[in-house]
Amino acid sequence: MDLKNQPVPEGSHLLEVDDLKMYFHTQDGVVKAVDGVSYNLDRGETLGVVGESGSGKSVTAMTIMGLIDMPPGKIEGGDVRYRGLSLFEMTEKQMQDIRGNDIAMVFQDPMTSLNPVYTIGRQLGEGLRLHRGYSKEQATKRAIELLDMVGIPNPEQRVKDYPHQFSGGMRQRVMIAMALACDPDILIADEPTTALDVTIQAQIIELMQEMQEKNGNAIIMITHDLGVVADVADKIMVMYAGRPVEFGTADEIFYNPVHPYTWGLVRSIPEALVDEKKPLTPIKGNPPSLVNVPKGCSFSPRCPYATDRCRNERPDTYTTETGHYSRCHYSMDPEFVAKNAPTNSRRRAEENGAADAVAGKGGEA
Amino acid sequence: MADEKNAPTKADDAAASVPSDLEGHVDAQGRYPLLSVQHLSKEFPVDSGVFASKMSKRVSAVDDISFDIFPGETFGLVGESGCGKSTTGRCIMRLTNPTGGKVFFNGENVADMKKKDLKSMRHDMQFIFQDPYASLNPRMTIGEIISEPLIIHGEMTDKKERLDFVRELLDEVGLNPEHINRYPHEFSGGQRQRVGIARAFALRPKLIICDEPVSALDVSIQAQVLNLLSGLQEQYGTAYLFIAHDLSVVQHISNRVAVMYLGNLMELSDWKTLYAQPYHPYTQSLLSAVPVPDPDVQRSRKRIILAGDPPSPIDPPTGCRFHTRCPIAKEICSKERPELKEVAPGHFCACHFAAPFPIKESSINL
Ligand SMILES: Nc1ncnc2c1ncn2[C@@H]1O[C@H](COP(=O)(O)OP(=O)(O)OP(=O)(O)O)[C@@H](O)[C@H]1O
Ligand SMILES: Nc1ncnc2c1ncn2[C@@H]1O[C@H](COP(=O)(O)OP(=O)(O)OP(=O)(O)O)[C@@H](O)[C@H]1O
Ligand code: SF4
Ligand SMILES: [Mg+2]
Ligand SMILES: [Mg+2]
Repeated sequence: MDLKNQPVPEGSHLLEVDDLKMYFHTQDGVVKAVDGVSYNLDRGETLGVVGESGSGKSVTAMTIMGLIDMPPGKIEGGDVRYRGLSLFEMTEKQMQDIRGNDIAMVFQDPMTSLNPVYTIGRQLGEGLRLHRGYSKEQATKRAIELLDMVGIPNPEQRVKDYPHQFSGGMRQRVMIAMALACDPDILIADEPTTALDVTIQAQIIELMQEMQEKNGNAIIMITHDLGVVADVADKIMVMYAGRPVEFGTADEIFYNPVHPYTWGLVRSIPEALVDEKKPLTPIKGNPPSLVNVPKGCSFSPRCPYATDRCRNERPDTYTTETGHYSRCHYSMDPEFVAKNAPTNSRRRAEENGAADAVAGKGGEA
Repeated sequence: MADEKNAPTKADDAAASVPSDLEGHVDAQGRYPLLSVQHLSKEFPVDSGVFASKMSKRVSAVDDISFDIFPGETFGLVGESGCGKSTTGRCIMRLTNPTGGKVFFNGENVADMKKKDLKSMRHDMQFIFQDPYASLNPRMTIGEIISEPLIIHGEMTDKKERLDFVRELLDEVGLNPEHINRYPHEFSGGQRQRVGIARAFALRPKLIICDEPVSALDVSIQAQVLNLLSGLQEQYGTAYLFIAHDLSVVQHISNRVAVMYLGNLMELSDWKTLYAQPYHPYTQSLLSAVPVPDPDVQRSRKRIILAGDPPSPIDPPTGCRFHTRCPIAKEICSKERPELKEVAPGHFCACHFAAPFPIKESSINL
């Protein structure tokens, strides 16, 4: 059964993650690694997932893929629906069909996810033999095509190589080729370029975008790099301590963010300097433990605007008509947002335009 | 920044004997460099096993690079993985012996130093490493870790005085002095990096070699640590050799920046010029590849995507080591190594076709 060829039911999205909760039951207590993640994704779209180390980005993705060991993990609530069907109601056999075939994942460290004792060709063909029933020869032929497609020179020779004979960038391209081998509906890329240099990162991102244009698949791009997200994402989810604190279109998150953690993140990035040095603006303090998540808003111990209400009461999810949502008591207060949000290139352009107009130079260009 | 505050190390007060090797190496204020790296090279034998021979191949990790660092300045060294940044740092500290060239610290040739001189050099030259997890001994309390250099150098032999000083240091780097008896695993990555910084500053060194000190940290924590490093520099006039692969981090912290590629220095300039008007095609490609956290900018900018991977430092390309990936390379590039030439005052570039933005759209062949 090829799920990806079935229509998405009316009123549903390709992927719907609905208040997903994944906790780990450990000796030190319950780690609330994912504590209420919700989003929708359609074909051709790219979702960027950003947030600090340990905020639950990878666990969210692994839960969708059904790759979390339970125990210690346990789904404490919520649902994940793919083309209208709940993944949590599937048998392990059905999930195996979905993994790689419908939803494929590229992991952060290509060396640990490629098997060192098998050739690149064998590993590339594995999924095709499993999901498509290809013969060995067919699989090898397709593996060569895939290597060529991801820009590995000399693919006829290189299919016979072992992973250690490839550079880091090449291994990551192999991982992408492997993930794309069965034309998945959804490609989840967990920090696919974090271990790579910027010139190689640029190649990999371009490759993923080209493939998406050709195949129309959706992409979930997990990264801590807001630059990468600005490059590829249509929608962005910002995570903090196991929860999305803000979700919106790329434009909403970059040009109209409403959550103080998003502001802090944006302000901590070293911006390109032109004339003079400016000090960086870090977020104070350290990320919280997920065993003892702060009462109230989990960002309150580090939030410069935290009030008693924030320290005691967990903020609701406030959603606008466009689906832009935020979990901060004050994110629906335009005055609060206007006063505290960092400025950005659009706002600066508007301000300059306004200033020019006042000066009689006639606003926008 | 700290330059003005720092008493200049003029020729006369830097000890009467300025070696002839430092002649002509003065900065705008007439100061001699604290560190002068001259034609430094480092090769590693590839095969160190039984069959190693004179014929064995060698890794040319660092190949004939030169730069000076002046008192109180931050000198940024950027480049991609494996280009030789750490090897450069290790040669300077003489944690490994260079296979060519000279390194002068405080006017003295590091290569000639005997054990005793090396010890006193290491008093004035400290280091901070990338990995805040691996670089701290897990069995020592952070108090012991920070005291260690003081004990090694026989300073503050009075235990109480020493511990008071360590508490002061902890406070200075933003850690709670009451945590002096805790172990590294009780701290987060950013906090551990602060421990490493406190340790490096314990002897009030003149130079700290920071090898990717913030690469393992989240951006919000990275900014904390960078601000701490800048603050301490302003207070103590310490010079930094700041090694990193993140161009925007380097721009923020550095007074001058050098770009490395495959063991060679490609470009060197003050931070403003290097980013605003790079002359080297590699610097330009590197800058254009960094994604900007601004979708409008990202959608509209032109990017140079370099094809392929950096070649191996075993048998590096002839001529200009960048020629195999360079979008504007011509025949001469594979034949002659371009010299690092001064293309504008204080701005050096090693390219046969050095010019502001030599890469034009028409020259990009993807
Ligand atoms: N098997 C497990 N048992 C207990 N805790 C776990 C387990 N796996 C993950 N966690 C915890 O869940 C939290 C979320 O982890 P996750 O890997 O999703 O973070 P992340 O956002 O991907 O971070 P990074 O950016 O560092 O990759 C972390 O605090 C992690 O320690
Ligand atoms: N002890 C060694 N023996 C053999 N080769 C070495 C040794 N140390 C480093 N190299 C090689 O020298 C080159 C430069 O390595 P170096 O660690 O200096 O790079 P780097 O610029 O610090 O890279 P990174 O950003 O990955 O830290 C690499 O090709 C590396 O493999
Ligand atoms: S010397 Fe040639 S190959 Fe090297 S950077 Fe300049 S143009 Fe490119
Ligand atoms: Mg992760
Ligand atoms: Mg290094």
